Amino acid sequence: MDPREEAKRQKELLLQTAGILPTELVVAQGEELFNRKGPSGKTMAECDFGLGKGVLEGAAARLPRYFLDTNRVEDLDSRILTCMTRVQGFKPEQIKRSEVVAIAFYIASKSTGHRIQVRLLFPEERELYALGEKLFYARTGARDVGCATCHVTYVGRRAGVLPYADVLGKDKSWTHWPAYRYSNDQIWTMQDRIRACYGNIAHPQPALYSQPILALELFLAYHANGALVEEWPAFVR
Amino acid sequence: MRKVLVALFALGLAFALAQRYFAEEELKRVAAGGKAYAEVFANQRPDQALCSLHRNRLPADLLPQFLEEQRALIKYPASGKLMGDWRKGGAIFNNLQKANCFSCHFGSPVHLGGDVGPSLEKYGLKRGQSEAVQRYTYEVIYNSWAYFPCTVMYRFGAQGLLTPEEIADVVAYLLDPESDFNTKPAVGSR
Ligand code: HEC
Ligand code: HEC
Repeated sequence: MDPREEAKRQKELLLQTAGILPTELVVAQGEELFNRKGPSGKTMAECDFGLGKGVLEGAAARLPRYFLDTNRVEDLDSRILTCMTRVQGFKPEQIKRSEVVAIAFYIASKSTGHRIQVRLLFPEERELYALGEKLFYARTGARDVGCATCHVTYVGRRAGVLPYADVLGKDKSWTHWPAYRYSNDQIWTMQDRIRACYGNIAHPQPALYSQPILALELFLAYHANGALVEEWPAFVR
Repeated sequence: MRKVLVALFALGLAFALAQRYFAEEELKRVAAGGKAYAEVFANQRPDQALCSLHRNRLPADLLPQFLEEQRALIKYPASGKLMGDWRKGGAIFNNLQKANCFSCHFGSPVHLGGDVGPSLEKYGLKRGQSEAVQRYTYEVIYNSWAYFPCTVMYRFGAQGLLTPEEIADVVAYLLDPESDFNTKPAVGSR
């Protein structure tokens, strides 16, 4: 069976038996965290996710992008981190990954129905994109692998349960994350997805929020420009 | 004379540059991913750099030298025997952590195979066990890039994933008419 169809079926099944989807639960949890006051007394509504202070509608569909205040390209995960540390006053070591993911689920949910709109305007955006492209096509390690080996050259073939997705083309993979993975009961953002792919090929994983992940993300997102976000967070195998 | 030297030097430099894939600046950014992560990119081999640079389709003029270099990496078992113990070979072929052959190739009687590579179903019955077939099979497994430049199949011997003896065992698993691979039906065969 087609994995997309199978995911739809599983979603229906879960909705019927539990009455609510895991994605909805996480979004609600994220909303609570979003409105929680940090040590500075501020909630996350005081933060700018790219469209102005507190504006969430469609914001995630325009990430990653360059932010003047940090002088960096940030995706949703890293922007959440920036907000929590710089505006809310949390110490980096106080921030739990599970909270960042839940907040990402909540903010992303405000982009359902929007189209991906990512630009390469600032030099930093262009440089990171170029790095992402190189990382994507790089063959390295004892197995000589790279992202493109599976996701370009062998699209549609399988070496396990799932066929290799056309992540730069027709599968519009950028719009599938953040997502709930029902087969493993996990909540993942694109950062986790990319790290898992490195894990699958026995390659050491890049650190969360690090530049190589941002670079790959910008490369993937740019290729999905104009694609409709059917549902964020998504529900996948 | 001087002109020739300059030209030779420029040519050498161009060649050296062509073998690099990541620029210094880029490797610095990659380093932010962590030490272990960055090392893999910093240690990219020249042949890997070429495949990356040309997105796995080498230009025709680079092919002869590339193939020659890949052939030169192939080593053979000390015994000279290219077919070892098929039982040991089966354990290697069907182990996800070890060689993972079945994930890409159909034909294993133990696991359902993938379709990234061609089907190897009843490989030994179809190809026979001639010296030429043994050598070809051994060499493809030892260094797939000597036959299929930049292919996805791991270079098991050249990259040290399997020893020459282990590869000879896998060759026996594929070729020996007595091997389970040739006597038992492949999982998923109709
Ligand atoms: C050995 C093959 C292989 C390599 C190499 C590989 N992946 Fe994957 N990737 C997979 C498989 C299999 C899946 C499907 C798993 C799933 O959908 O849950 C996947 C899923 C994905 C997805 C989600 C696709 C979707 O439509 O939801 C993205 C994005 C992705 N990979 C990116 C990458 C990147 C970036 C790299 C390089 C760092 C990479 N992959 C390397 C096999 C690979
Ligand atoms: C990551 C996928 C992958 C893995 C793992 C893999 N192969 Fe391959 N193999 C291929 C591909 C793809 C080809 C075809 C080469 C091409 O055309 O690029 C191939 C070709 C071959 C051939 C030549 C087939 C012919 O018809 O001439 C043999 C033999 C072979 N592989 C054996 C093995 C063995 C044995 C293993 C495990 C030790 C293995 N392969 C692991 C992908 C793989």
